[in-house]
Amino acid sequence: MNKNAIFVSWVTHPLPTKLMLVLLLFSVTLQAQNNSIKGTVSDNIGSLAGVNVIIRGTNTGTLTDSDGNFQITAKANDTLMFSYLGYKALEIPINNRNTINVKLQEDTTTLNEVIVNAGYYTVKDKERTGSIAKMTAKEIEKQPVTNVLASMQGRLAGVSIIQDGGTPGGGFQIRIRGRNSIRSDGNEPLYVINGVPYSNDAIGSPSTTTAMASQASPLNSINPNDIESIEVLKDADATAIYGSRGANGVVLIATKKGKAGKTSVSFTSSTGAGSVTKFVDLMNTEQYLDMRRQAFINDGIPYGATDYDINGTWDQTRYNDWQEELLGGTASINDIRTSVSGGSESTQFLVGANYRKEGTVIPGDFRYIKGGVSNAINHVSTNKKFKLNFSSSYTAQDNLQAATDLTLTARYLAPNAPALYDESGNLNWENNTFENPLATLKSTYQSKTNDLLANTLLSYEIVPGLEIKSNLGFTDLKIKESRILPSTMYNPVYEVGSDNSVVHMNLTNRQSWIVEPQLRGFKSFGNHKLDVLLGMTAQQQLTERLFLTGIGFSNNNLINNFAAAITKNVTNNDIFLYRYQAFFGRLNYSYNDKYFINITGRRDGSSRFGPGKQYANFGAVGAAWIFSKENFVPVDSKLSFGKLRMSFGTTGNDQIGDYQYYDTYSSTSGNYQGVIGMQPTRLFNSNFGWESNRKIEFALETGFFKDRIFNTIAYYDNRSSDQLVGIPMPATTGFTSLNSNLNASVQNSGFEFTLNTVNIDKNKFKWTTYFNIAVAKNKLLSFPGLEGSTYANRYVIGQSLDIVKLYKFNGVDPDTGLYQFEDMNGDGVISSTDKQVVKDLTPKYFGGIQNQFTFKNWNLDFLFQFVKRENYGFISNVPGGGPYNQSNSMTNAWEQAGDQTNTQLHTTGVNGAAVAAYYRYIESDEIITDGSFIRLKNIALSYDVPLKMTKNLKCKLFVQGQNLLTFTSYNGGDPEFKFSGFLPPLKVVSAGMTLSF
Amino acid sequence: MKKIMNISTVMKQLKVFRFIAFVALVLSSTSCDDFVEVPLPNSQLTGTTVFESELTANAAMAQIYIQLRDGGILTGLPTGGSLNFGIYADELRDYTTSSISQPIYNNSLTDDNATVGSLWRLSYSQIYNVNSIIEGLNNSTVLTDPFKNQLRGEALFVRALVHFYLMQIYGNIPYIKTTNYEINRQLHRQSTTEVYDAIVDDLEESIELLSETYVSADKARPNKLAARALLARVFLYMDRNSDAITQASNVISSSQYVWETDLNKVFLRNSTTTIWQFASATAVRNTNEGITFIFVSGPPPICALQNEFMNAFEVGDQRKVKWTKTVTSGANSWSHPFKYKLRTSTSSSQEYSVVLRLAEQYLIRAEARVKVGDLTGAISDINLIRNTAGLPNTTAISANDILTEIQKQRRFELFTEYGHRFFDLKRSGTINTVLSAVKPGWNSTDILWPVPQSELNANPNLLPQNAGY
Repeated sequence: MNKNAIFVSWVTHPLPTKLMLVLLLFSVTLQAQNNSIKGTVSDNIGSLAGVNVIIRGTNTGTLTDSDGNFQITAKANDTLMFSYLGYKALEIPINNRNTINVKLQEDTTTLNEVIVNAGYYTVKDKERTGSIAKMTAKEIEKQPVTNVLASMQGRLAGVSIIQDGGTPGGGFQIRIRGRNSIRSDGNEPLYVINGVPYSNDAIGSPSTTTAMASQASPLNSINPNDIESIEVLKDADATAIYGSRGANGVVLIATKKGKAGKTSVSFTSSTGAGSVTKFVDLMNTEQYLDMRRQAFINDGIPYGATDYDINGTWDQTRYNDWQEELLGGTASINDIRTSVSGGSESTQFLVGANYRKEGTVIPGDFRYIKGGVSNAINHVSTNKKFKLNFSSSYTAQDNLQAATDLTLTARYLAPNAPALYDESGNLNWENNTFENPLATLKSTYQSKTNDLLANTLLSYEIVPGLEIKSNLGFTDLKIKESRILPSTMYNPVYEVGSDNSVVHMNLTNRQSWIVEPQLRGFKSFGNHKLDVLLGMTAQQQLTERLFLTGIGFSNNNLINNFAAAITKNVTNNDIFLYRYQAFFGRLNYSYNDKYFINITGRRDGSSRFGPGKQYANFGAVGAAWIFSKENFVPVDSKLSFGKLRMSFGTTGNDQIGDYQYYDTYSSTSGNYQGVIGMQPTRLFNSNFGWESNRKIEFALETGFFKDRIFNTIAYYDNRSSDQLVGIPMPATTGFTSLNSNLNASVQNSGFEFTLNTVNIDKNKFKWTTYFNIAVAKNKLLSFPGLEGSTYANRYVIGQSLDIVKLYKFNGVDPDTGLYQFEDMNGDGVISSTDKQVVKDLTPKYFGGIQNQFTFKNWNLDFLFQFVKRENYGFISNVPGGGPYNQSNSMTNAWEQAGDQTNTQLHTTGVNGAAVAAYYRYIESDEIITDGSFIRLKNIALSYDVPLKMTKNLKCKLFVQGQNLLTFTSYNGGDPEFKFSGFLPPLKVVSAGMTLSF
Repeated sequence: MKKIMNISTVMKQLKVFRFIAFVALVLSSTSCDDFVEVPLPNSQLTGTTVFESELTANAAMAQIYIQLRDGGILTGLPTGGSLNFGIYADELRDYTTSSISQPIYNNSLTDDNATVGSLWRLSYSQIYNVNSIIEGLNNSTVLTDPFKNQLRGEALFVRALVHFYLMQIYGNIPYIKTTNYEINRQLHRQSTTEVYDAIVDDLEESIELLSETYVSADKARPNKLAARALLARVFLYMDRNSDAITQASNVISSSQYVWETDLNKVFLRNSTTTIWQFASATAVRNTNEGITFIFVSGPPPICALQNEFMNAFEVGDQRKVKWTKTVTSGANSWSHPFKYKLRTSTSSSQEYSVVLRLAEQYLIRAEARVKVGDLTGAISDINLIRNTAGLPNTTAISANDILTEIQKQRRFELFTEYGHRFFDLKRSGTINTVLSAVKPGWNSTDILWPVPQSELNANPNLLPQNAGY
């Protein structure tokens, strides 16, 4: 409110007389004679369509057509300005000419005139005060990926993305500048697609989504190739206008728009293959059987009747590489997309369609299919006052996968386990001594997702410099998931009939709408520029879920017919209504294009909080100084650009779930004599509010040699407090936590460095390099009552939130052959209180280096991603016990007194002390290993086929690869994982072509 | 002229900014508080509303039985007491390779074991829900007194029951009678005497409040006699033997129950010796115990009866024939409990999980009678059990021998039922001798489980940890 009051008093002051002079001069130039000027705009390769041609100092302009031609009426002494995204702008004085042909140079630094989308407003990259990382369609389209998050890995400084698994349709973990909330599910950034917030709340259900390490990511619905640009907002200046939802950063996704000119059609088709990047190094049969035999010797017991692997039942010379057999397949990937775009200067359109099919690496007919249509229409009225942008997309996904990931099975199975199929091609149960892993594939997971996204942006210029606009959005997501457990997945000898077959279903709908009326005024007077934005938001999101379980069918073929289930259970049926309201504003002032100040603020109200706690204020100030424009930097200086910027402010987080402040009883799915139970939902407390996050950033951006070397170095320090973690409660209270703002504080600080260089820029050969690295630190600053809380085993003040507390490993006792651990508290007993060694699993630093080569019609682009971190090694079962294979590092085990080794004696499981020691071992510092890696994340080679015969037809051939090479010392499989034991991200090679005309 | 035009342009600009300022004021002063106040969804009710109708109050009570049946100590599922105390003592052998159940079977429990944590946590969650019902009833101005008394009686019964089991496992525990988290978060552990007294208080009030007739079909909700049956057990454990005899006799003499001589009918849904049982999850499901214990081919997926147990049956004991079953696969065989004979669904449920049954009351009375010197009475009770099992009358004459015989009958009558064996060994003081002979990992401090480490962290008032952990 205060800010508005100040603002009112400011606007009532008289404007400087300077402004009037400017306006006077401006009106004088409106004299003189008009000529018609023609010309063609081209680049090194050919003509450029859609280039903006504007008469300097006016709003008059045109666009080049599909052949690069333009025609404009201007005065003989006017200057024409040519601009096109990705090219250096050019100003050409007409000088009485009638024909002007122009050749634009590609803008290698992509900095000049690059416009950055900051959500509610756009800003010239050069002039921005906030921290915004950007990537464009150029990088995205080179990557054969399904989910847009995969395309962002390694490319954006400070944005850590881990793919949860290689099964198509799975989720990702994204952290922008680290983990702010102690609440593990409160660290998601806000996604905004064309101005419409897009909920990333998982859409699966725990009983259906078992195929993947995490529940399905809703962002799968976005086709990466529809995306024009992705902007990641990081600091307070950029995120505060998103107020309560900006704490974890904001990911803005803008989709492609139509281009004026002749109607053009583009068609792309590609085919690829995916396979597992890296397997765990496991024991072979000989090593495995040695281990098993030794275990029996150590335990002093004979082979049992069920020890089939070693008692002679199974072939002891047989060797299977189960990882190869169960996960070693090739996933085929087909992708087809087409688009038509065109339009007049006033109305442009884009219509696209895409289809993608991915197989999997495991045996069986599993596949992921995605198809969608999208369109965009842009219209400007003839007087340029009214603008309309409409875009929509509809995506359907159909994902059929094995309900259980086979990765763990493939790692655990005894290497001499029998063949999967018998001689007649049926599943082999080896006389009921073998649980055939392929049987589990009869239990399948299927999800069908339909997602509609639509948005409209309307704007009207009331008077010059005053624009009223409104953003309207609507999303509709429907998912139907089912997991079937047919009786055929069990060994027939168990005589499990179809009356025991089970189907779990999840039907979820999520709809949201948003209305954002806004008012923008901008004015320049002399060297002063002012840009003011005011707006409000009203948003509603309604989620309805229905979880069903059906048990028993007269025939397994009826299993997908819920009506045919003998027992039908509704395990969950709920509705979540989330409403959100906000007022926001931005005031941007610049002087002389050198000094910039940007003030943003937001007042937010959320239905997730109780009366009196619903509203809160957030705001930020950002400032920038382009010192390279100062007089002390000579015009011919090697320093071509220099900017200092800083920002500070607060943002918030309301990711706590709906209705948490109510004192309620909820229906459970439980049934007792026909009565459905109800129980208290939670410990009642309505007195909690927003998590708040205070962010500070300083950055220096410099360009040298006409920006051929351009770098940014940024330091940030973010502190989040009032953690909505739930106050830990002892179970004697009936619950383990109480919803409340915990006065704990988490700091994320670090440096981010980016460097873009144009190494060679010759006419036919160009080489550019992009490098980014983030050195990040996460630290728990305070946590009242940590020692007495359930978090005591997880967190330590002064350490990262992603630590693990472990036993201190003291090697193997040469006398007993058992693992030894340090009794840290000296009480003579090794118990969980001795887990005091802290290992930080947060990446120490991470980033990427990308190189781009262009030679004539060839283009080669590759990106190495690197991550420095520690991680858990491969963990199997107790070595020697059960028929479980082990890492081949377990071969050198203790056998007799005096043996010096790091692997304790093997046991079949009867040696309780050894079993206990093993379970401590996997919770000791010994199990943590270097999980760092350098990975050829992406490589893309393309060739523009020179087609002489048809002028308009363009053909591009390309080969793309993802995750092709991985350099790591990690021996537990692929080093990129968040949840162990799931299929890692695949390496993919794909080839295809694009035709356009 | 031009100048005037420009001045008017400037004025226009001024108006523009004034207009923006005006809109800003209007927007920010607009009161739309109602917009972000959302109503409760149709899947939830406020706590007050629940206790304004018998239907919803009954739903809250039903949830207690659902929670007991499907989780915590009394569930027949593999997470519950019947299995876990069975493998912890000498009834069952664990065939899983689970890092959770192996330490239980090996008696090498740690204070961060998942079962140690979940039994504690779920039990106190059950107690919270019971206390929430008691408080809801107290505050209700709508419900009738007879209805309130019935529900309060059931709630007190369950509160006593869950605390009773918690104490057997964890030793000194807090007895919780409120939902107030400010109190419950900093409770101290209470001595066994204090907890027993609280249990007796709750059960005696429950007996006052409940009627002898069951309020629902299939004895699925406890009546006055169920409370008496539990109180008889509590008195026996407390060594208040004549009180135990009184309560047990009261149950035994009730016309609600008829002694069953066919062992195959004892665990049927309509068994005449059942005092209280859990209705199954659906109208066609049978018991959780059936799912946990029964297997059709070896090796056992979860657990099987210990060979020592199978071999210790007296020759001719029909319980070995009818209540256990041996599965053979090749040269190997394994036996599983077969009190419940159905693993899968039937067109309508035929078996329910029996929590309290008449045989235990005879065994309680027999033991209490020995302790008060009524050996004849004891022998007559024990012979009823023996004869039903197809065994002749006992030959024991001395009090000690009769006690040994009772202990033995308890072992073979009540096996894999909610940890009776484990508790009986502790009560008789023979646990260390018996278990260290068959369980290599047994230590004398293993008679209690550790309190979960996370609970000691969350409430240091619960310190110290039980000995040995």
